[in-house]
Amino acid sequence: MNCEACNLKELEVESFEVREVLRCILHTIVFHRALGLIRPKDIDLELFDITYVQCGEIEVEKKIDDKIEQIITWIAKHPNKKIQICLTFYEVKTKQPSWFTNKIERLYWEQWNINLNVIQPTKPPVGKSHHSKLVVDPGEEPEELSSRRTLLEQSLQEVLFQIIKFVNEKKDHVPPINDGVIYCPFEITFPSTSDSAFGIDMFKRMLHSGGHPSMLT
Amino acid sequence: MDFPENLPSSSSDMGRLEQIVSHFFPKALHIVLDSRIPSLQSRGRTRDRNLKKSDKWFNLIMGDRPAALDKLHSWHRNILDSMIIDIILIHPSHHDHAETVIERWVVQYENPLIMSPQSSDPCTRYQKVYKKAIILLRSLYAQTRLLPAYRVSRQLSSSLASSGFEMVYKVSSFSPPVTETMTEFRFSPVEVPPGRLCASVTYRSDLSGFNLGAHITLPPRIITDYVGSPATDPMRFFPSPGQSFEATSSFHGRAGRGPPPSPSERPHSWTSGFHRPPTPNQSFSPQFSPDFHCSRTEHQLSPPFSPSTPRGSNSPRINLRPGTAPVTIPSSATFNRYVSSNFSEPSRNPLPPFSPKSTRRSPSSQDSLPGIALYKSSRSGESPSGLINHYPAHKLTKESKYDSGRFSGLLSSSGSPRFGFSRSPSRLSSDLEDPDCSCPFDFDDVDESSAGLQYSQSLDRRKTSSSISQSLPIGRKSQDAAVGVLVQMLKTAPPLRQDSSTYMASSMSGVQREGSSVSGTESEFSMARSTSDALEELRNYKQLKDLLLSKSKSVGGATRVH
Repeated sequence: MNCEACNLKELEVESFEVREVLRCILHTIVFHRALGLIRPKDIDLELFDITYVQCGEIEVEKKIDDKIEQIITWIAKHPNKKIQICLTFYEVKTKQPSWFTNKIERLYWEQWNINLNVIQPTKPPVGKSHHSKLVVDPGEEPEELSSRRTLLEQSLQEVLFQIIKFVNEKKDHVPPINDGVIYCPFEITFPSTSDSAFGIDMFKRMLHSGGHPSMLT
Repeated sequence: MDFPENLPSSSSDMGRLEQIVSHFFPKALHIVLDSRIPSLQSRGRTRDRNLKKSDKWFNLIMGDRPAALDKLHSWHRNILDSMIIDIILIHPSHHDHAETVIERWVVQYENPLIMSPQSSDPCTRYQKVYKKAIILLRSLYAQTRLLPAYRVSRQLSSSLASSGFEMVYKVSSFSPPVTETMTEFRFSPVEVPPGRLCASVTYRSDLSGFNLGAHITLPPRIITDYVGSPATDPMRFFPSPGQSFEATSSFHGRAGRGPPPSPSERPHSWTSGFHRPPTPNQSFSPQFSPDFHCSRTEHQLSPPFSPSTPRGSNSPRINLRPGTAPVTIPSSATFNRYVSSNFSEPSRNPLPPFSPKSTRRSPSSQDSLPGIALYKSSRSGESPSGLINHYPAHKLTKESKYDSGRFSGLLSSSGSPRFGFSRSPSRLSSDLEDPDCSCPFDFDDVDESSAGLQYSQSLDRRKTSSSISQSLPIGRKSQDAAVGVLVQMLKTAPPLRQDSSTYMASSMSGVQREGSSVSGTESEFSMARSTSDALEELRNYKQLKDLLLSKSKSVGGATRVH
């Protein structure tokens, strides 16, 4: 089983749009990997005319929301940067304990790279508050903002189509569904402090997996 | 792997694979229609331990499958038949309505002649296949939310003025190719030995050409010269005398649409804001018969034809011809016969029940609904009182009793949810299953209760007048035939949900009495009539009567308070 990777199209977002965009993308991916018995939930985005599907599991929602909060905090400290968020699915394998490896081993079998380019608006929009749950009055938006919003909506839809296509094309690498397991375990990572720390994150993951993520037995 | 059907381990792998295929079709159908047709949406969340096995298939809980979907799928006996689900948008076009296929979902099990070599272990093969089928259905589910038809369906289900737009569906195993340029998306097939499951969707990526935005979902606006609502003053009759006919006819014809205000009229809180030129003749004819097809929420029994059928004659679409056998769900063999005959001889009995819409739809179904034709021919240019003359009077008097009772009930307790009543004058069929109308405070209800109040006033006046009973129809026989046709139509309608509203209970006995009074026609339809069929019939009669009464009332120039 090899690790499949999918690079999603880069999206140009403003900081207040990050939450919705990430929620949409992350939940859509996890929905396709929650192969246990689920009751899907349709969620309408507030900022865009898009409906996405959640798998309906509270743990998943909490995990994703927590991670999004961290990402937003990071973005606030590092404005105007590109950020790549990695959503990886792994299998938990117990290995024969030896003196240098852990008992629990993670085998990553899929990696999704979500690319965001967080831009700052040229001027602060009138009447907007940079709150997470933002409903923008379209009547007040200048034309370039609304066209940018429309472009972003189209791009977001393209990203969702991209996810569906990838999910369809590559099915063989998905591990078998275990009884009682609702969703495939996953983790979300992003560059936390700086580029060098990103390397440390990768190193940590390599240790966990016991090898290069793309070469799994 | 939690396989829903706990087959004994000795059962063959092939049996499980076949089960996967055979359950895939209804699941896909459920997913697609659930996202497009509000009336088929599952209601309520079943608790996890009460889940039916059918719902657990592919690990996707959709809720209870509506009975209509089961009926739809029951024809699909042969898994080698493809299942084509057409999502059709009915939209106003020139003088009438046009149908356009905006989406086509195709699910089929391809069985190649050459079997692919079985490489994997048979014991785990079905598990892998099942896993892949699950993923396929997940992506199908997500795709239904992404395509443009989803937003349109949401808009239509929530909008206050649907303005002639409706979304209906048609399920078949053969359909002519769609002529418009559509985008296609093919889901990756899942190998299910000895064949493979394929799914694809062809859709119109741009629905702006239908001008939906102009008619739907007007943003809420503040009415600066608010004149009050029927809830505050039920006895007030709002529309102007010239408007009243318009109001009642539109109320009758369109679900969820308030009376279109004349240009001179102030918008009221309970008008939908939808504006149409108030021309009584023009607006009546498309609106009365679409009493049948006004709502997407109705369970209708035969599909609309493809857009290639000539606009003028909707007869192919309607299976309401007198003497037509009741529509049943045939086996696949019969179905295929229907399908092939469908396109060669449009006048024959059309496809078995799929999209229930078109049994009720008839903007121009004069030939198939003589009773309605009678209406329409007398409609144009004639006074409404002329119409009253054509209506069997005994029905009127009987129904008026019930109606006045019910209406007064509404007036006395306007706050209580009487959706069973408030919807009935406006719809001819099973509205009670519409989730939207179950909310008494829904905007639609306000509109219709206001128009219903108009009816009540007209009825109250009518109750005591004996003029109707004197002016009996000349063409009694043809009217009976029309009634018979209506009965036939109603018989073939799916049973209503048996709500325990007093409206229904009191109406039952009325229906029985009325049934006996229609001489000659009842004997023709001697099949067993269920309570729900009778209820449908009663509602039908009531609506007809209400319409007639309102027309005569408006022309009679009864005093109105405006």
